[in-house]
Amino acid sequence: MLQTVATPGSLPETHAMLAKLGSACLIAGGTAVMPTLNGGTDEFTSLVSLRAAGLSGVSIKDGSALIGAATTLSDLADVPALGFLVPALETIASPTIRNMATVGGNLFVKQPYGDLAACLIALGATATVSDGTNTRIDPVEKLVASRLGAGEIVTQVSFALPAEGSFKFTKAGRKAMNAAAIVTVAAVVTATDGTVTQCRIGLGGVAECAVRARSVEEALTGKAFDRVHVTEAAQQAERDIEPFDDSYASAWYRARVTPVHIRRALIGE
Amino acid sequence: MKHSVVALTINGAERQMLVAPGTTLLDALRESQGLTGTRRGCDQGACGACTVIVDGKTMMACLLPVETIDGATIDTIESLTPMDGLHPIQEAFLEGFATQCGFCTSGMIMATAGLLAKNPDPSREDAVRAISGNICRCTGYEAIIDAVLDAAARMRAAKRDKAA
Repeated sequence: MLQTVATPGSLPETHAMLAKLGSACLIAGGTAVMPTLNGGTDEFTSLVSLRAAGLSGVSIKDGSALIGAATTLSDLADVPALGFLVPALETIASPTIRNMATVGGNLFVKQPYGDLAACLIALGATATVSDGTNTRIDPVEKLVASRLGAGEIVTQVSFALPAEGSFKFTKAGRKAMNAAAIVTVAAVVTATDGTVTQCRIGLGGVAECAVRARSVEEALTGKAFDRVHVTEAAQQAERDIEPFDDSYASAWYRARVTPVHIRRALIGE
Repeated sequence: MKHSVVALTINGAERQMLVAPGTTLLDALRESQGLTGTRRGCDQGACGACTVIVDGKTMMACLLPVETIDGATIDTIESLTPMDGLHPIQEAFLEGFATQCGFCTSGMIMATAGLLAKNPDPSREDAVRAISGNICRCTGYEAIIDAVLDAAARMRAAKRDKAA
């Protein structure tokens, strides 16, 4: 049963509160934590809210985006320089939930949710993690797999803005809006004279956390950016994913369609 | 377990309430303030029946621990209804037969209010997107989407009349 809800006014106060309260759960937008709490849980006895800790806001500097971890998905979509992310953000839940859900929280929601993590992996984003004394900077793909240690807080996510038109995204779900992922594909592809010189691909919905499709990236880099080579490279995805069964799709189906959606994301057909 | 005092501006009036840890905004509105127009559906953020406007943005009241939003301004379905008659959104829902059992209606109307505050002339897709977090298990979506667009037209007309 919940004993305390704290809303500290700064990051140091938040760390102090986490250290003071036993069995505390961090809460930002509440869209993942509150369903658990409302359903009844013994997993934690206190909540520490990040709402007033000063971790929201976006700044664009020298071609990079610095995003406070408590920035909501709606506020993120309103930043003109991040317009390329809007089609991806609009596939995440509903506008009402996006007014609440945060960038930091979205990293840790259970699959098949958390599509922004796949986007951040494709963008080569890093996350700043504070333990109250020190900070470390982890690639997002590492952080979503390792998750946070006790007393740690994600304070910021940052990435270099991709070249115009290089960010690709597609999401397969059971309905057009407000759907969980069967497969989510995000990618940043750079091609010079028709040859792929750089690519990073993030996948959601096909493993315990969002993952990087390194095998596909390796297979595609240096190849012609066309249907034949993209189709061939996308087949390598089975080495990067560990799909699961849920009420939306079977693991078999996810594995079967992942290469198709990678191709559709990359070349639009 | 320590109770705490939370101050909110609810439908224009300043309210203070004593709440147990983890009390949701939904519970505070329904149980403490008697504002039962905001519905409890799933308690999971999945149905949208508890949609209210918090500091100008639509949010789900079941997902907000009220202690974390001390000082916020809340508008519920009750704030929309004038002393006499109905709000244009309510009129559009009523006259367009956009309510069947009516359970989802207050959430649908608040989601519509949130949309029209930002976008007075929405497309059909904008309307669908705006209510994509609200579930109607009578599945009367077409009539609801029509009502959202009709409400937008009524509000634009009212604004034009006022300006003229």
